[in-house]
Amino acid sequence: MTLAEPLTTERPHAEQPEPGCHVTILTDRCAGCQECIVRCPTEALHLDPARWVVVADDAACAGCRQCVRTCPFSAILVDGPVQVGPRAVLEATHPSTLEGDTAELRPGFGSLAEAEAEASRCLSCPDPTCLRGCPAHNDIPGFIAAVAAGDLGQAHEVLRRTTVMPDICARVCDQAVQCEGACTWSLAGGTPVAIGALERFVADHAPVPPPRVVSDDAEGLSVGIVGSGPAGIGAAFELVSRGANVTVYEADDAPGGLLRWGIPAFTLPSEVSGRPWRQLQEAGVDLRCRSKVNPSDLDGLLERHDALVLAHGAGLPLRLPVPGADLPGVEDATSFLGRAKAALAEGRPLPDFSELSGRPGAGPPVVLVLGAGNTAMDVARSARRLGARAVCVDWMDRRFAPVRTDELEEAEAEGVEVRFATTLRSLEEVDGRVGRAVLSRTVQRRAGERPEIVKGAGEVQAVDVVVAAMGYRIDPEFAANLPGTPVRREANGVPDRRWQASGILANPAPAFARHRPVGRLALGRETALAVSALPFRERTWVAGDALVGPSTVVEAMAQGRQVARAVVKARPRRPGQSPDSRPLRVLVAYESLGGHTQRVAEAISRELADRLGPVTTLPLERVGPAELANCDLLVVGTWVEGFVVAGVGPAKTTRRWLEGLPRLPGKRVAIFCTYGVSPKATLPVMRRTLEAKAATVVTQAAFGPREAAGAGPFGTGPFGAAAFAHQLAQRAYPERVPTLLVD
Amino acid sequence: MALAEQERPATLVDDPIPVALRLRPAQREGLHERFAPSDPSPGWDLTARSPRLARLVKSRRFQFFLILPNQIVFWTVIFVGLFGTVVPGLNFGTAITWYVWFCLVFVMMVVVGRAWCSMCPFGGFAEWVQRRTFWQRTQKTLGLGWKFPEPLARYGFLIPVASFVLLTWIEEFFNIAGPGSPAYTSWMVVGIVSSALIFFLLFERRTFCRYICPLSTLIGTVGSMGSVAGFRTRDREVCLSCRTKDCMRGSEKGYGCPWYTWPGSADSNLYCGLCSECYKSCPEGNVGLFVQKPLTSVVAPKRRRADVAWGIAFLWGLVLYQQVNATNGFASADSWLNRQLGFPHYPDPIDYIGFIVLAALATAGVGRLMATAFASRSANLERPGNFLDRLSRFRSFFAPMAYGLVPVVGADYFARQLPKFLQHATRVVPALAHIGGFSSVRSPIYSFSIMTNGWIVFTQVAVVVVGTMAASWSTWKIAGRELVPVSRNALGVRLATVGFVLACGAAAAVLYVMMHAAD
Repeated sequence: MTLAEPLTTERPHAEQPEPGCHVTILTDRCAGCQECIVRCPTEALHLDPARWVVVADDAACAGCRQCVRTCPFSAILVDGPVQVGPRAVLEATHPSTLEGDTAELRPGFGSLAEAEAEASRCLSCPDPTCLRGCPAHNDIPGFIAAVAAGDLGQAHEVLRRTTVMPDICARVCDQAVQCEGACTWSLAGGTPVAIGALERFVADHAPVPPPRVVSDDAEGLSVGIVGSGPAGIGAAFELVSRGANVTVYEADDAPGGLLRWGIPAFTLPSEVSGRPWRQLQEAGVDLRCRSKVNPSDLDGLLERHDALVLAHGAGLPLRLPVPGADLPGVEDATSFLGRAKAALAEGRPLPDFSELSGRPGAGPPVVLVLGAGNTAMDVARSARRLGARAVCVDWMDRRFAPVRTDELEEAEAEGVEVRFATTLRSLEEVDGRVGRAVLSRTVQRRAGERPEIVKGAGEVQAVDVVVAAMGYRIDPEFAANLPGTPVRREANGVPDRRWQASGILANPAPAFARHRPVGRLALGRETALAVSALPFRERTWVAGDALVGPSTVVEAMAQGRQVARAVVKARPRRPGQSPDSRPLRVLVAYESLGGHTQRVAEAISRELADRLGPVTTLPLERVGPAELANCDLLVVGTWVEGFVVAGVGPAKTTRRWLEGLPRLPGKRVAIFCTYGVSPKATLPVMRRTLEAKAATVVTQAAFGPREAAGAGPFGTGPFGAAAFAHQLAQRAYPERVPTLLVD
Repeated sequence: MALAEQERPATLVDDPIPVALRLRPAQREGLHERFAPSDPSPGWDLTARSPRLARLVKSRRFQFFLILPNQIVFWTVIFVGLFGTVVPGLNFGTAITWYVWFCLVFVMMVVVGRAWCSMCPFGGFAEWVQRRTFWQRTQKTLGLGWKFPEPLARYGFLIPVASFVLLTWIEEFFNIAGPGSPAYTSWMVVGIVSSALIFFLLFERRTFCRYICPLSTLIGTVGSMGSVAGFRTRDREVCLSCRTKDCMRGSEKGYGCPWYTWPGSADSNLYCGLCSECYKSCPEGNVGLFVQKPLTSVVAPKRRRADVAWGIAFLWGLVLYQQVNATNGFASADSWLNRQLGFPHYPDPIDYIGFIVLAALATAGVGRLMATAFASRSANLERPGNFLDRLSRFRSFFAPMAYGLVPVVGADYFARQLPKFLQHATRVVPALAHIGGFSSVRSPIYSFSIMTNGWIVFTQVAVVVVGTMAASWSTWKIAGRELVPVSRNALGVRLATVGFVLACGAAAAVLYVMMHAAD
C-alpha cells in the first residue's frame, strides 16, 4: 500500500496566516515513555537522549493535541489553534417540489479534486482515533491516503477489509458521533475530516465488488441466518467469502430488513440499499423470504444447520403509554415508513391521506410524529412528501436530542415543525379516529437527565394521523430464549489501555460530536462487538439489534461479520456430521500472586499442548470475550485467598472475573487452584459459578505447596500437571486422547 | 515517510482493532549510555529472588498494612497531644514524634530511600480518601483530579523545599520540637494532614507528595544514598515496545504510578515512592524491586536536575542554620534583629531566610567559581529553556557538585536529630504508659539517657565524618564522570570539588563542637 506523504499542515488561505502552535513539555514529569512520539502525526516530537525527555518542534506541530491526550502523566501542553484548512461544505439540495419527490438530497463530492482536497486534511494519525470511533473499524487513514493519492481502487481495497456496505454506511451513519466525532481534529476542538463524504465518494466511484470466495475455512459448513438486515448481510458476506453454505430466513417478502423498509429513498436510494442482496443472491446465498422464524423453530433449524446466526433485529415498536393509543389513525413508524416508501416509489398518494384531505373544508392532513430522532425525521419528511403537514414532538431539550444536526436542519427546511421539550399527554377521538392530541411542555437541564413535565392545562393540537417513532425493542419472546440478551453497550471497569493510549477517551465530549461522549460510546460498542463472538446457545450466535437492542446499520454489519468469523473459527458440527479433526484451541487463564499459580498454569499448558493443540496461557485480566470465543477448551486456575481457615476461597480477583463472565453455553472448562494449607471450598465455588454460566466443568484439581513450588512430582505424579492435563484431555475429548493406564 | 513501512508493535495482535495501527518506532539512540550506569544488576532483583516477597508486594493489601500501624500512631499523637498531659516528655505525641520518629525516618532514608513515603500516614490517609478505598483497585475517586499547573510544576522538587523551610520556621517559632506544648505537635500534624487532604482532593495522584510535602525533597535526596533502587524495569526493551503503559495509566491490578515515575526510565530511587503499583499493574511482569550499592542513586544518574541541585543547596543552608542557631553569637544577633524589627521572638524570619538563601547562594557561588576556573572553552554547555531545562556552564558544574554534597547534608540532618534521640528516646515508654495513667516524670526510664553529652557530640562528629567521606567518594566519582570531560584540568577539578565537600563537612563538624560549647 502506498500512502501519501503526511498531510499538509498548511492552510489554503496563506495570505492570512494564523499563529502557529507552541508545545510545552513539562520536563519535570516527562518520563520519556515516548507514548506521544510514537503517535505524533507530524513527527513534531523527539527524544533528547541525554535527559531522556521529549523535545518539541513547534514549526512541525499541527495542533492536533494527540500528544496531550496520549501522555500518561499530562506532561505536554499545546497552545494555539489547530493548523488545518476549512472542511468541505456539501450543502443538501432542496427539491423545488417536495411532494412526491424521492431524489437523494445529500450530494457527494463532485470531483476527485474536491475529494483530494478534503483528503489532504487528514493527518494519517499513527494511532487513529477515527478508526476506533468507527463501529466497523474501517482503516480510515488508509483509505483517505489512497484518495489523496487519487487511487480509488486502492481506497476500496482498504475499505472492503472491514466493511461490505461503504455505499450504505456513508449515507446513513451518524458520523458526528462515530468516526468524525473521534477524528483527532474533532477531539482537539476543530472540524473533522469529512470521512463519511469521502467514503461515499469511493463507494460511488468504484462500485462495491460482489463477495468472492477468498478462503475455504468454512467449506462444508452450513449456516442459517435469521434476518436479512444489515447484521445478516454482514454475516452472509463474510461466510460466503469463506466458502460456507448460507441460508437466510427472512420474514418479509423481500430481503434487506431495515434498509428496505426503514430508510426513505431520499436518504438511501433503492438502488443502493438493494445492492448487497443483489450481490448475495448472485453469489449463491439461499434466500428464503416469507419464512418467519419463531423461537420454537430454533431447535429445528439447528438440526438442519451447523450454526445459526440470529440477526432478526429489534423491530417491535415501543408502545405509546398514553390514553387513546389504540385509536384508529395511530400507528408505529415501521408500518408508516413501509407504506410511505411504497407509495412514494409508486408515485401514488396514501389512501388515508387522500381520504383525509378530501373531507369538505379540510387542508392537508396533519401528521403528529412522536419523537425527534432520526426515524422520526424520516417519518415526518416522508409525510411531507406525501402532502401532509408534519409536526414532531420530543420531550427532550433541543440541545440533547439524539438527532443528526444536518437531518434536523433539512427536515425543518422542508417544513417539518419540530417541537422539542414537548410531550404527548393523551390522544382524543374525533369522528371515530384520532383527532386531537393534548401536549405538555417539559424541562430538561442536562443531557442524560430525565425531562420533567411542566404541570398545567396542556396544549391541544389537531391531528389526523399519529405516528409513534420513539424507538424499538427486542421481541421479548426471543430474548427469553437467548439468556444474556440484550447485551449492554457499556465498558465497565478500568478502560482498555490501548483505547486510553489512543487518546479517544481523553476528550470526553467533543463539540462536533454534539457533546456526546464519543470515546465512551465507542468503547461500549467494542464491548458488545467482542461479546458477539460468543455463542448464546449451543451453535447459536446473535448479532445486530437482536443482540444489543436498537442500534445502527454499521454496528449491526460489524457484529454480523464478527459473528461470521467466530462461526468459522469454532466450526461447529450438527449431530451426525463427521467430527472436526483440526487441532483444538486451548486457553489456560490464571490468577497468580507470587508466581506459583503461573508456574502450574505453564506446566499444564505444556502438557496440554502435547495432547490437544495450540495453547494460549494468559493472566485472567487479559482474558476477554475475544479470547474466550477463540478457544474450544478453557482452563481456569487461581491461588487460594483466606487466612488458614477463615474466608478461604478463590482469590477475589478470580471470583470477580468468574462472576463477570458472559454465558458460555456448552463450553468445556477445567479448573484448578494452588493452595498453601487447604483449598477448602475453592473449587466448588468456581464450579458453581461456571455452571451458572452454562459452562461444563470437565475436571478439577488442587495443587498443594509441594507441587506448586516445583518440588512436587510435576509431570510424573498422580496429582501433577501431567496427570491433570491427561485427565482433562480425556474427559473433554475422549475421541482424541487414548486411555492412559496410570500405574 | 511511508507509514506502512513503520514499526508494527508487538501488542498489535492483541488490539481489538483488527486493522493496522501505524505507530512510529520508539527512539532508542543513547539508551545504553543513558541508563547503563544507573541500572541495578539483574541479579539484585529482590522480587525475582524471593517468591514470598513477590507475593507480598503483589498483594493489594501490601501498602495498606505498611500504612496502618503508622496511621494508628498518628491519630494517637493527635489525640494524646491535644488531650493528654502538658508535660512534653511524658506526652506520647511529643515523645514519639520528636525523640524517635524523626531520627528513625532518617535511618530509613539512608538505608531504603523513600520507605517512609510508602508508609506515610499523611499521604496514606489522604490517598485512601482520594481513592475511596483502603486497598482495592477501583474506578471510584473523590476529588477534582486537576493536574498540578505547569508554571509551578516546572520548579519540581524546589516547592517541597520551600514548604520544608516554612514548616521548620513554624516549628522553631512555636518551639514545637523543643519540645514545647504537646498540643502544638498535634496541631502541626493536623495541619499537615489537612493540607495533604486538600491537595489530594484537588489534584490527581500524589501531587501533594511530589510537589508539596515538606519532606519530599529531603527524603528523596537523602534517600538517594539508600540501597533500595526502587521498582525498576527488568528489560527496558519490553518497556519501550509496550504500547499500553499500564504502569503509568493503571490497570485492573494496580493504579498508574502516583509519583509520575516510569520504571522504564527510572534512573534513581529519588522519584520512586515504593508503593508497588507498577509492580502490580505491569502486564508483562517486567517490573522488579531492586537493591543497589549505597550511593548509587547519588553517583550514577546521568541526568542532573536543576531543581534537585538547588534543593540540596537550600537544604544544606537550612541544616547549617539549625546548627548556627544553637551558638551564642547567633542568639544575640537574632534578638538584636527582632528588637530592630519589632518581631516578637526567635527565629526572626529575615535572618532565618537570609541565612538559608545566603548559604545556598554561597554553595552555588562555589559552583560558579569552579565553572569559571575549570570549564573547558570548547565544551558546548549552553541550552536555553525554562528553569528546569536550561543548561549553562554554571549548571554543568553546580548540579553534579550539589548531588555530590548529598551525603554531607544527609549526615548533618541525621546528626542534628541525634541528641534528642540519644537523650530522650526512652521517654516513649513512660509516655506510652502514661496514656493509661501508669507513669510519671519520676520514672527512672524517663530520665535515662543512652549517651552523655560528650559522647553525643562525638557521635555527631563521627556521623558527619562518615557522611563527608561518603560525599568525598561520591564527588570524586561524579567529578570524574561528569566534570572532567568538560574541564581544562582533570585532576584540578576533582581535587577542588572534593576539597569543597571536605570543607563543608569540616564546617558541620566544627559547628557541632561549637554548639556543645554553647550548651
